[in-house]
Amino acid sequence: MIDWETQLKLQAYLDGELSEADRAEIAGKVAQGGEEAALLAELRQTRALLGGFEEGIKMPESREFFWSKIEREIQRPARSEPARLGLPWLARLRWLLAPAVAAALLLVAGLVATRHDGSARSAAGAEIETAQADTKAFTYRDYETGMTLVWLSYPADSEFASQEEIGIIQ
Amino acid sequence: MTEPKHSSADDQSLVRAAQQGDTAAFEELVARHRDKVFARAYSMMRNEEQAIDLSQEAWIKGWQRLRQFQGDASFGTWMTRIVINLCLDELRRQKRQRAESIEELDAESGGVERQMPVVLVNPTSGLERAELRERINRALSQLSYEHRTVLVLHEFEEMEYKQIAKTMGCSIGTVMSRLFYARRRLAALLADLKKQD
Repeated sequence: MIDWETQLKLQAYLDGELSEADRAEIAGKVAQGGEEAALLAELRQTRALLGGFEEGIKMPESREFFWSKIEREIQRPARSEPARLGLPWLARLRWLLAPAVAAALLLVAGLVATRHDGSARSAAGAEIETAQADTKAFTYRDYETGMTLVWLSYPADSEFASQEEIGIIQ
Repeated sequence: MTEPKHSSADDQSLVRAAQQGDTAAFEELVARHRDKVFARAYSMMRNEEQAIDLSQEAWIKGWQRLRQFQGDASFGTWMTRIVINLCLDELRRQKRQRAESIEELDAESGGVERQMPVVLVNPTSGLERAELRERINRALSQLSYEHRTVLVLHEFEEMEYKQIAKTMGCSIGTVMSRLFYARRRLAALLADLKKQD
Protein backbone atom coordinates (compact mmCIF):
# COMPACT_ATOMS: atom_id res chain seq x y z
CA MET A 1 0.00 0.00 0.00
CA ILE A 2 1.46 3.34 -1.04
CA ASP A 3 1.35 6.00 1.66
CA TRP A 4 -0.79 9.08 1.06
CA GLU A 5 2.13 11.47 0.69
CA THR A 6 3.71 9.31 -2.00
CA GLN A 7 0.39 9.04 -3.84
CA LEU A 8 0.14 12.81 -4.04
CA LYS A 9 3.79 13.07 -5.02
CA LEU A 10 3.19 10.64 -7.87
CA GLN A 11 0.43 12.91 -9.13
CA ALA A 12 2.57 16.02 -8.74
CA TYR A 13 5.34 14.16 -10.61
CA LEU A 14 2.94 13.61 -13.49
CA ASP A 15 1.83 17.27 -13.43
CA GLY A 16 5.39 18.63 -13.28
CA GLU A 17 4.81 20.22 -9.88
CA LEU A 18 7.54 18.52 -7.88
CA SER A 19 10.83 19.95 -6.67
CA GLU A 20 14.03 18.59 -8.19
CA ALA A 21 14.79 16.43 -5.13
CA ASP A 22 11.29 14.96 -4.92
CA ARG A 23 11.25 14.31 -8.63
CA ALA A 24 14.41 12.21 -8.39
CA GLU A 25 12.98 10.28 -5.42
CA ILE A 26 9.69 9.50 -7.21
CA ALA A 27 11.41 8.65 -10.47
CA GLY A 28 13.47 6.09 -8.53
CA LYS A 29 10.37 4.49 -7.03
CA VAL A 30 8.58 4.37 -10.39
CA ALA A 31 11.62 2.78 -12.02
CA GLN A 32 11.36 -0.12 -9.60
CA GLY A 33 7.91 -0.95 -10.98
CA GLY A 34 5.31 -2.21 -8.54
CA GLU A 35 2.41 -0.20 -7.12
CA GLU A 36 3.94 3.20 -7.74
CA ALA A 37 4.42 2.50 -11.44
CA ALA A 38 0.88 1.10 -11.75
CA LEU A 39 -0.70 4.10 -10.06
CA LEU A 40 1.28 6.52 -12.18
CA ALA A 41 0.17 4.65 -15.31
CA GLU A 42 -3.47 4.93 -14.27
CA LEU A 43 -3.17 8.66 -13.56
CA ARG A 44 -1.42 9.18 -16.88
CA GLN A 45 -4.10 7.21 -18.72
CA THR A 46 -6.94 9.24 -17.17
CA ARG A 47 -5.18 12.44 -18.04
CA ALA A 48 -4.72 11.30 -21.64
CA LEU A 49 -8.41 10.40 -21.93
CA LEU A 50 -9.40 13.95 -21.09
CA GLY A 51 -7.05 15.44 -23.67
CA GLY A 52 -9.03 17.15 -26.41
CA PHE A 53 -12.33 16.32 -24.71
CA GLU A 54 -13.61 19.91 -24.81
CA GLU A 55 -12.76 20.34 -28.47
CA GLY A 56 -15.80 18.33 -29.43
CA ILE A 57 -18.19 20.52 -27.45
CA LYS A 58 -19.90 23.08 -29.67
CA MET A 59 -22.31 25.87 -28.82
CA PRO A 60 -25.72 24.52 -29.89
CA GLU A 61 -27.13 27.93 -30.86
CA SER A 62 -26.39 29.50 -34.22
CA ARG A 63 -23.91 32.33 -34.44
CA GLU A 64 -26.62 34.82 -35.43
CA PHE A 65 -29.05 33.86 -32.70
CA PHE A 66 -26.44 33.80 -29.95
CA TRP A 67 -25.03 37.15 -31.03
CA SER A 68 -28.48 38.72 -31.25
CA LYS A 69 -29.04 38.02 -27.54
CA ILE A 70 -25.68 39.49 -26.58
CA GLU A 71 -26.13 42.49 -28.86
CA ARG A 72 -29.51 43.25 -27.32
CA GLU A 73 -27.96 43.31 -23.85
CA ILE A 74 -24.85 45.32 -24.65
CA GLN A 75 -26.83 47.94 -26.50
CA ARG A 76 -29.43 48.34 -23.78
CA PRO A 77 -27.55 51.03 -21.79
CA ALA A 78 -26.55 52.78 -25.02
CA ARG A 79 -30.21 53.25 -25.95
CA SER A 80 -31.21 54.68 -22.57
CA GLU A 81 -28.20 56.98 -22.36
CA PRO A 82 -29.40 59.69 -24.79
CA ALA A 83 -32.71 60.01 -22.93
CA ARG A 84 -30.86 60.67 -19.73
CA LEU A 85 -28.45 63.07 -21.34
CA GLY A 86 -31.31 64.93 -23.05
CA LEU A 87 -32.20 66.91 -19.93
CA PRO A 88 -28.99 67.39 -17.93
CA TRP A 89 -30.34 70.48 -16.12
CA LEU A 90 -33.20 68.40 -14.71
CA ALA A 91 -30.82 65.81 -13.37
CA ARG A 92 -28.75 68.51 -11.67
CA LEU A 93 -31.87 70.13 -10.24
CA ARG A 94 -33.00 66.81 -8.77
CA TRP A 95 -29.62 66.43 -7.10
CA LEU A 96 -30.22 69.73 -5.34
CA LEU A 97 -33.87 69.10 -4.58
CA ALA A 98 -33.48 65.80 -2.76
CA PRO A 99 -31.36 67.08 0.15
CA ALA A 100 -33.36 70.31 0.28
CA VAL A 101 -36.63 68.43 0.73
CA ALA A 102 -35.07 66.20 3.36
CA ALA A 103 -33.71 69.22 5.26
CA ALA A 104 -37.09 70.96 5.15
CA LEU A 105 -38.85 67.92 6.57
CA LEU A 106 -36.30 67.64 9.34
CA LEU A 107 -36.83 71.30 10.22
CA VAL A 108 -40.61 70.90 10.37
CA ALA A 109 -40.30 67.79 12.48
CA GLY A 110 -37.90 69.57 14.81
CA LEU A 111 -40.24 72.52 15.27
CA VAL A 112 -43.15 70.23 16.05
CA ALA A 113 -41.05 68.38 18.55
CA THR A 114 -39.91 71.49 20.43
CA ARG A 115 -43.50 72.82 20.72
CA HIS A 116 -44.84 69.57 22.07
CA ASP A 117 -46.19 70.06 25.63
CA GLY A 118 -45.98 66.44 26.58
CA SER A 119 -49.72 65.92 27.07
CA ALA A 120 -49.82 63.20 24.41
CA ARG A 121 -47.04 61.13 25.84
CA SER A 122 -47.56 57.44 25.93
CA ALA A 123 -47.17 55.38 29.03
CA ALA A 124 -43.71 54.36 27.91
CA GLY A 125 -42.66 57.96 27.51
CA ALA A 126 -42.23 57.64 23.75
CA GLU A 127 -44.38 57.83 20.64
CA ILE A 128 -44.26 57.39 16.88
CA GLU A 129 -46.27 59.53 14.49
CA THR A 130 -46.61 59.96 10.75
CA ALA A 131 -47.09 63.41 9.27
CA GLN A 132 -50.20 63.50 7.08
CA ALA A 133 -48.49 65.70 4.57
CA ASP A 134 -45.91 63.03 3.93
CA THR A 135 -46.81 59.44 4.73
CA LYS A 136 -43.22 58.33 4.17
CA ALA A 137 -41.86 60.47 7.03
CA PHE A 138 -42.03 58.94 10.50
CA THR A 139 -41.25 60.71 13.74
CA TYR A 140 -40.17 58.89 16.89
CA ARG A 141 -40.02 60.83 20.15
CA ASP A 142 -38.54 59.74 23.44
CA TYR A 143 -39.50 62.31 26.06
CA GLU A 144 -37.31 60.91 28.79
CA THR A 145 -34.13 61.42 26.82
CA GLY A 146 -35.50 64.42 24.94
CA MET A 147 -34.72 62.80 21.60
CA THR A 148 -36.71 63.11 18.38
CA LEU A 149 -35.92 60.83 15.50
CA VAL A 150 -37.29 61.62 12.02
CA TRP A 151 -37.19 58.75 9.52
CA LEU A 152 -37.59 59.69 5.88
CA SER A 153 -38.29 56.58 3.85
CA TYR A 154 -38.12 57.51 0.19
CA PRO A 155 -37.94 55.04 -2.67
CA ALA A 156 -34.56 54.42 -4.22
CA ASP A 157 -35.76 55.23 -7.70
CA SER A 158 -32.65 56.99 -8.80
CA GLU A 159 -28.95 57.15 -8.23
CA PHE A 160 -29.30 59.90 -5.64
CA ALA A 161 -31.85 58.33 -3.33
CA SER A 162 -30.51 54.86 -2.82
CA GLN A 163 -30.83 54.62 0.96
CA GLU A 164 -33.29 55.61 3.61
CA GLU A 165 -32.35 58.81 5.32
CA ILE A 166 -32.49 59.28 9.06
CA GLY A 167 -32.34 62.57 10.92
CA ILE A 168 -31.87 62.94 14.68
CA ILE A 169 -32.89 66.03 16.62
CA GLN A 170 -32.12 66.37 20.29
CA MET B 1 -23.39 40.38 -39.48
CA THR B 2 -19.70 41.17 -39.19
CA GLU B 3 -18.15 43.28 -41.90
CA PRO B 4 -15.60 41.43 -44.05
CA LYS B 5 -12.79 43.68 -42.77
CA HIS B 6 -13.08 42.05 -39.35
CA SER B 7 -12.96 38.43 -40.46
CA SER B 8 -9.29 38.66 -41.40
CA ALA B 9 -8.20 40.80 -38.45
CA ASP B 10 -6.31 39.26 -35.53
CA ASP B 11 -7.73 39.19 -32.01
CA GLN B 12 -5.62 42.11 -30.82
CA SER B 13 -6.92 44.41 -33.55
CA LEU B 14 -10.48 43.28 -32.89
CA VAL B 15 -10.11 43.92 -29.16
CA ARG B 16 -8.75 47.42 -29.83
CA ALA B 17 -11.65 48.17 -32.17
CA ALA B 18 -14.18 46.75 -29.70
CA GLN B 19 -12.65 48.84 -26.92
CA GLN B 20 -13.54 51.86 -29.06
CA GLY B 21 -17.15 50.68 -29.18
CA ASP B 22 -17.07 48.71 -32.43
CA THR B 23 -19.72 46.03 -31.84
CA ALA B 24 -19.01 44.36 -35.19
CA ALA B 25 -15.45 43.69 -34.04
CA PHE B 26 -16.81 42.27 -30.81
CA GLU B 27 -19.21 40.07 -32.75
CA GLU B 28 -16.25 38.59 -34.59
CA LEU B 29 -14.52 37.88 -31.26
CA VAL B 30 -17.69 36.18 -30.01
CA ALA B 31 -17.86 34.07 -33.16
CA ARG B 32 -14.24 32.98 -32.79
CA HIS B 33 -14.30 32.06 -29.11
CA ARG B 34 -17.90 31.20 -28.32
CA ASP B 35 -17.38 27.43 -28.63
CA LYS B 36 -14.44 27.46 -26.22
CA VAL B 37 -16.29 29.62 -23.69
CA PHE B 38 -19.39 27.46 -23.95
CA ALA B 39 -17.36 24.24 -23.66
CA ARG B 40 -15.73 25.46 -20.46
CA ALA B 41 -19.11 26.39 -19.00
CA TYR B 42 -20.57 23.06 -20.04
CA SER B 43 -17.67 21.09 -18.54
CA MET B 44 -18.27 22.78 -15.23
CA MET B 45 -22.07 22.94 -15.16
CA ARG B 46 -22.99 19.68 -16.99
CA ASN B 47 -26.16 21.40 -18.15
CA GLU B 48 -26.53 22.79 -21.66
CA GLU B 49 -29.09 25.45 -20.86
CA GLN B 50 -27.13 26.80 -17.92
CA ALA B 51 -23.94 26.71 -19.95
CA ILE B 52 -25.57 28.79 -22.71
CA ASP B 53 -26.91 31.33 -20.21
CA LEU B 54 -23.61 31.61 -18.37
CA SER B 55 -21.55 31.93 -21.52
CA GLN B 56 -23.93 34.66 -22.74
CA GLU B 57 -23.51 36.43 -19.40
CA ALA B 58 -19.74 36.07 -19.72
CA TRP B 59 -19.77 37.77 -23.12
CA ILE B 60 -21.84 40.64 -21.79
CA LYS B 61 -19.43 41.03 -18.86
CA GLY B 62 -16.54 40.80 -21.30
CA TRP B 63 -17.94 43.72 -23.29
CA GLN B 64 -18.53 45.77 -20.16
CA ARG B 65 -14.99 45.13 -18.87
CA LEU B 66 -13.23 45.27 -22.20
CA ARG B 67 -11.27 48.37 -21.22
CA GLN B 68 -9.72 46.39 -18.36
CA PHE B 69 -8.26 43.84 -20.79
CA GLN B 70 -4.55 44.59 -20.96
CA GLY B 71 -3.49 41.73 -23.20
CA ASP B 72 -1.39 39.97 -20.53
CA ALA B 73 -3.12 36.73 -21.50
CA SER B 74 -4.81 35.93 -24.80
CA PHE B 75 -8.34 37.22 -25.29
CA GLY B 76 -9.66 33.65 -25.32
CA THR B 77 -8.03 32.90 -21.98
CA TRP B 78 -9.37 36.17 -20.53
CA MET B 79 -12.88 35.21 -21.60
CA THR B 80 -12.66 31.66 -20.25
CA ARG B 81 -11.55 33.05 -16.87
CA ILE B 82 -14.66 35.22 -16.82
CA VAL B 83 -16.95 32.29 -17.55
CA ILE B 84 -15.15 30.10 -14.98
CA ASN B 85 -15.77 32.68 -12.27
CA LEU B 86 -19.42 32.96 -13.26
CA CYS B 87 -19.78 29.16 -13.17
CA LEU B 88 -18.12 28.96 -9.76
CA ASP B 89 -20.50 31.61 -8.40
CA GLU B 90 -23.47 29.72 -9.81
CA LEU B 91 -22.27 26.35 -8.52
CA ARG B 92 -21.72 27.78 -5.04
CA ARG B 93 -25.17 29.32 -5.15
CA GLN B 94 -26.70 26.00 -6.19
CA LYS B 95 -24.79 24.18 -3.47
CA ARG B 96 -26.12 26.53 -0.84
CA GLN B 97 -29.66 25.84 -2.06
CA ARG B 98 -29.50 22.09 -1.79
CA ALA B 99 -28.00 19.66 0.63
CA GLU B 100 -25.09 17.77 -0.80
CA SER B 101 -25.67 14.07 -1.45
CA ILE B 102 -24.18 11.58 0.97
CA GLU B 103 -21.88 10.39 -1.76
CA GLU B 104 -20.50 13.86 -2.32
CA LEU B 105 -19.99 14.38 1.38
CA ASP B 106 -18.11 11.10 1.64
CA ALA B 107 -15.96 12.05 -1.30
CA GLU B 108 -15.25 15.46 0.14
CA SER B 109 -14.23 14.03 3.48
CA GLY B 110 -11.35 12.26 1.72
CA GLY B 111 -9.75 8.92 2.35
CA VAL B 112 -11.75 6.86 -0.16
CA GLU B 113 -9.32 7.48 -2.99
CA ARG B 114 -6.41 6.19 -0.95
CA GLN B 115 -7.74 2.63 -1.00
CA MET B 116 -9.11 2.47 -4.54
CA PRO B 117 -7.68 -0.40 -6.58
CA VAL B 118 -5.58 0.71 -9.52
CA VAL B 119 -7.30 0.41 -12.91
CA LEU B 120 -4.76 -1.57 -14.86
CA VAL B 121 -6.37 -1.80 -18.28
CA ASN B 122 -7.56 1.05 -20.47
CA PRO B 123 -11.33 1.09 -19.85
CA THR B 124 -11.97 2.91 -23.07
CA SER B 125 -9.97 0.84 -25.52
CA GLY B 126 -11.84 -0.10 -28.64
CA LEU B 127 -14.46 2.60 -28.22
CA GLU B 128 -15.54 4.96 -30.97
CA ARG B 129 -14.76 8.61 -30.36
CA ALA B 130 -18.41 9.53 -29.83
CA GLU B 131 -18.92 6.67 -27.38
CA LEU B 132 -15.76 7.59 -25.50
CA ARG B 133 -16.95 11.18 -25.25
CA GLU B 134 -20.33 10.04 -23.95
CA ARG B 135 -18.74 7.86 -21.27
CA ILE B 136 -16.43 10.58 -20.09
CA ASN B 137 -19.42 12.91 -20.05
CA ARG B 138 -21.37 10.55 -17.83
CA ALA B 139 -18.41 9.97 -15.54
CA LEU B 140 -17.73 13.69 -15.17
CA SER B 141 -21.38 14.25 -14.27
CA GLN B 142 -21.02 11.88 -11.35
CA LEU B 143 -18.26 13.89 -9.71
CA SER B 144 -19.11 16.56 -7.16
CA TYR B 145 -18.69 20.09 -8.44
CA GLU B 146 -15.56 20.65 -6.35
CA HIS B 147 -13.80 17.62 -7.82
CA ARG B 148 -15.00 18.28 -11.35
CA THR B 149 -13.97 21.93 -11.18
CA VAL B 150 -10.44 21.09 -10.05
CA LEU B 151 -10.18 18.60 -12.88
CA VAL B 152 -11.51 21.07 -15.46
CA LEU B 153 -9.22 23.87 -14.28
CA HIS B 154 -6.20 21.60 -14.35
CA GLU B 155 -6.81 19.53 -17.47
CA PHE B 156 -8.66 21.97 -19.71
CA GLU B 157 -7.66 25.40 -18.41
CA GLU B 158 -4.12 24.13 -17.72
CA MET B 159 -3.86 25.95 -14.43
CA GLU B 160 -1.15 25.12 -11.92
CA TYR B 161 -2.07 23.95 -8.42
CA LYS B 162 -1.57 27.37 -6.85
CA GLN B 163 -3.71 29.10 -9.51
CA ILE B 164 -6.53 26.61 -8.88
CA ALA B 165 -6.23 27.16 -5.14
CA LYS B 166 -6.55 30.91 -5.64
CA THR B 167 -9.50 30.57 -8.02
CA MET B 168 -11.38 28.18 -5.77
CA GLY B 169 -10.41 29.81 -2.50
CA CYS B 170 -8.81 26.72 -0.93
CA SER B 171 -5.34 25.43 -0.04
CA ILE B 172 -2.90 23.80 -2.48
CA GLY B 173 -3.18 20.61 -0.38
CA THR B 174 -6.94 20.56 -0.94
CA VAL B 175 -6.43 21.06 -4.66
CA MET B 176 -3.99 18.13 -4.81
CA SER B 177 -6.32 15.92 -2.81
CA ARG B 178 -9.39 16.83 -4.89
CA LEU B 179 -7.54 16.38 -8.16
CA PHE B 180 -6.24 13.00 -7.07
CA TYR B 181 -9.70 11.86 -6.03
CA ALA B 182 -11.28 13.19 -9.23
CA ARG B 183 -8.81 11.33 -11.44
CA ARG B 184 -9.06 8.09 -9.54
CA ARG B 185 -12.83 8.23 -9.35
CA LEU B 186 -13.03 8.99 -13.06
CA ALA B 187 -10.86 5.97 -13.84
CA ALA B 188 -13.04 3.76 -11.63
CA LEU B 189 -16.27 5.08 -13.18
CA LEU B 190 -15.00 4.46 -16.69
CA ALA B 191 -13.95 0.93 -15.70
CA ASP B 192 -17.45 0.30 -14.27
CA LEU B 193 -19.04 1.48 -17.49
CA LYS B 194 -16.88 -0.94 -19.43
CA LYS B 195 -17.90 -3.84 -17.14
CA GLN B 196 -21.56 -3.01 -17.77
CA ASP B 197 -21.14 -3.66 -21.51
